[in-house]
Amino acid sequence: MTAEIIVVTSGKGGVGKTTTSASLATGLAMAGKKVAVIDFDVGLRNLDLIMGCERRVVYDFVNVVHGEATLKQSLIKDKRHENLFVLAASQTRDKDALTQEGVEKVLDGLSEDGFDYVVCDSPAGIEKGAHLAMYFADHAVVVVNPEVSSVRDSDRILGLLASKTRRAERGEKPITQHLLLTRYNPARVAIGEMLSVKDVEEILGISVVGVIPESENVLTASNNGIPVIVDANSLAGQAYSDTVARILGEERPLRFIDVPKKGFLQRVFGG
Amino acid sequence: MNAKAETADACDLRFGQVGIACVRVRRVDAAALCDELERRVRAAPAMFARAAVVLDLSHLLNLPDDGAVDALLEAVRSAGMLPVGLAYGTSETEALAKRMGLPLIAKFRAAYEPVAGGSSAADEPAPSGKAKAREPASAEPDLREPILSAPVPGSSIGAQHHLGAVRSGQQIYARDRDLIVTGAVANGAEVIADGNIHIYGGLRGRAMAGAQGDEKARIYVSDFRAELVAIAGQYRVFEQIPDDLEGQSVQCWLDGEKLLIAKL
Repeated sequence: MTAEIIVVTSGKGGVGKTTTSASLATGLAMAGKKVAVIDFDVGLRNLDLIMGCERRVVYDFVNVVHGEATLKQSLIKDKRHENLFVLAASQTRDKDALTQEGVEKVLDGLSEDGFDYVVCDSPAGIEKGAHLAMYFADHAVVVVNPEVSSVRDSDRILGLLASKTRRAERGEKPITQHLLLTRYNPARVAIGEMLSVKDVEEILGISVVGVIPESENVLTASNNGIPVIVDANSLAGQAYSDTVARILGEERPLRFIDVPKKGFLQRVFGG
Repeated sequence: MNAKAETADACDLRFGQVGIACVRVRRVDAAALCDELERRVRAAPAMFARAAVVLDLSHLLNLPDDGAVDALLEAVRSAGMLPVGLAYGTSETEALAKRMGLPLIAKFRAAYEPVAGGSSAADEPAPSGKAKAREPASAEPDLREPILSAPVPGSSIGAQHHLGAVRSGQQIYARDRDLIVTGAVANGAEVIADGNIHIYGGLRGRAMAGAQGDEKARIYVSDFRAELVAIAGQYRVFEQIPDDLEGQSVQCWLDGEKLLIAKL
């Protein structure tokens, strides 16, 4: 039994990779899987904040890669889900502290420990950190915002996923690519300020696995260290639940992609 | 595995063209060679880092001795490339290759003939004034992230096929042949061919046909949204795609020095 490795990547920064990694990992754990989520953004670590475990980081990813700590010592158990673990990045090092062999050793270690899924939260860019995050992946979740620069960067990443990964180098079955559209605002799409789902799918030539609506809950959840998927009342949380289900093979219709119709009271009092 | 099984299908053994860079040494100066190659590797690491190279000594007036050749090979290696053999030359070269335990790689046209004409034969010594180690013609376009698809062995000049999308930042070059892309060419992607280019999908990036100067080359696109199209060096950029062409299937050809585009 080997762990399925999922990289969450985008090329562009600030599109919601870490938010997605946190919610994806949490969602998989809620589905009963044993999950580890690794922050590859060495030097600019954030995942621990979003996961709400920043005060419990003792040893980090770089320590394990360098053999200064064991996996067991470094994995931080999530406070809400006992089958979810976080491996934080090191804030005091830089991305050169990671090595391909070291990363492979950590991923193999997680496989041996019986993890079902390892979610790799990639840093922005296409340099070493991003390369290592995607190199061993079996699945990729490419996070894209409905705007042209993000779409172009995602296109670049899709190309790299198809050429610069272990599966590509070994000529194995290619990485399963999932396109996740985040920060989607149907109202702004309707007036032509944002690209539509269809536009993005057409430009990139692959279909989306989920559409996460732009939502204030995301920021609130992040600031409170709670992955937004935990908030079952928020639209973003529900959209992430749908996405996780789809990645696990379930069929679910896309939601929250049309302008919500306002009820009478909302129209009177504003909503 | 059944050892008695039919083994004929275990492999195909053919002579095919493969992309190997050729380092034509013009001066026995290992340090200069190393510096120059290092510069090339730095400039285009995706192209040259750990690239297989053949050392061509035929342009030197006298074949250097074994020690000097060793130093040259070491220079190539320390520059980050991987020497895999010596280029075919005289019987002296053959003896040298044997002593070095390296294969002799037979002459392949593109690597031997400089683009601007000039000396082409392997056994014709060139003026040794230039210090630069020349890169092969195949490396002329600045390929940052080339998709090297080896031509089908055995076929004479068939087109090169690319199935699926060409992503932003990728570059595809069909040397001496047509290029057929079934999929979209994204913004920031480049498709280049010495012959014609056919794109069955959206062209949002760049397409350059007749890259070696064939003015008869054409570009056919089924969904035109290009950043740039070029034929034999004549190019047009599209800051704004004309309304009557956007999203249409078009062909581009050269009429004199004018690059024309029309709906199909």
